[in-house]
Amino acid sequence: MPRFGKLIVNLAAIAVLGIGGGLGSAWYMVEAGSRLSTRSFGPWTTWLAAGRPDADPYTRAHTARNALLPITSTLELTLYAKTDGEGAQLQSACDYAVTVEGLEGAWWNLAAFDRRGGLIPNGADRYAFSSDSAMREPDGRAVIVVARDARPGNWLPVGAGKITLVLTVQDAVRAAAAHTGGSIKGMPTIRKIGCR
Amino acid sequence: MNPRLPTPMLPERWPNLAPAALRIRAARPPAPGWLRKIGWRTALGALLLGGILHLGATLTVPLLGPGLAYQKLRELLPANTMVVVAPAQPGKQLLPFLLPDAYYGICRYSLAGDAVSISAPLLDLGWTLSLHTPHGDNFYVIPGQQLRTTDLSLVIVPGAEKSGDLMPATRRAPTPSEDQIASPSEEGLIIIRAPLKGLAWKGEAEAALSRAKCTPGVKS
Repeated sequence: MPRFGKLIVNLAAIAVLGIGGGLGSAWYMVEAGSRLSTRSFGPWTTWLAAGRPDADPYTRAHTARNALLPITSTLELTLYAKTDGEGAQLQSACDYAVTVEGLEGAWWNLAAFDRRGGLIPNGADRYAFSSDSAMREPDGRAVIVVARDARPGNWLPVGAGKITLVLTVQDAVRAAAAHTGGSIKGMPTIRKIGCR
Repeated sequence: MNPRLPTPMLPERWPNLAPAALRIRAARPPAPGWLRKIGWRTALGALLLGGILHLGATLTVPLLGPGLAYQKLRELLPANTMVVVAPAQPGKQLLPFLLPDAYYGICRYSLAGDAVSISAPLLDLGWTLSLHTPHGDNFYVIPGQQLRTTDLSLVIVPGAEKSGDLMPATRRAPTPSEDQIASPSEEGLIIIRAPLKGLAWKGEAEAALSRAKCTPGVKS
């Protein structure tokens, strides 16, 4: 009987550690990424090999599973933010100021989605700002306020729930800097203004 | 000779105090019985199994078939026809995380019958023409230039036919003005992204995308 108990415990250990750990870690690496496949700049995270034919298996699986069609990361960076600059989850109960400063020369676009990549319904029918459409401050900065209720200036409306901000930057120089481990000049900041 | 200093009397409880390290060791709870039943061979086997499953699951996702994006678009788009898609609305998105303030011209190409010709204008910065395999690999991209319209003319050929030697005799070779792009897969997607600067630019973007073509065969 004690031997039977030991066998059960060993089989359970194999199931939990082997199957759970193996599949769980694969799921995490494919969905959230790791230092092997992603790079973070403050709250922004990008998949380094997104869209590239020589992408690593984690990036390829991430692209395939999430129905993405990224442009190669050697030309364009797609950066995702799920937290603000302090590390707190982005949520529609709070207002945020995204300040874009120093992305001169690059084409950029900032859009708000829900966590699954769906657009968030709003009365203003507005879902993104770009380097062409955002109004600038006198000093050249573009401040985009992500909030549920209307705000003056560049207001990016969001509904209920958690938010993912997606920044697309088309600039081969900055893309090269991301790949070589350098810093990217002018990454936008995300500052919480307040919560309800 | 100095007088001998009196030794201070230690309190009665002092000798009973064990050193700190010993106390910590004594406080650590013993491993639960079930944990002691797991042999090192089991632990090693579980780790190996976990590693194999980890690699297997990661590697097989792209090998199971085309990416979800291509699967979705294959059902919606006819082959070798450019379809213009208006800016996305909530609940009416083609794919997750696509730029919402942009028109898209999408052509699902198939090289089964012949090469595919593309002609497309790129009006401004942010515009792109990109070619993707069913797995989502972006094997060719060309961005638009600031305040300058670029009229592109490309021919997509199967990967093995990039060399003129391998081109079937019945097929006309592309003209020198047409760039020839070798596709690593027989099918794929041509995507023209046309970001909107604002509502006033909708007409311009629509008109430009309506000129975009994706046709089987090389133009003669």
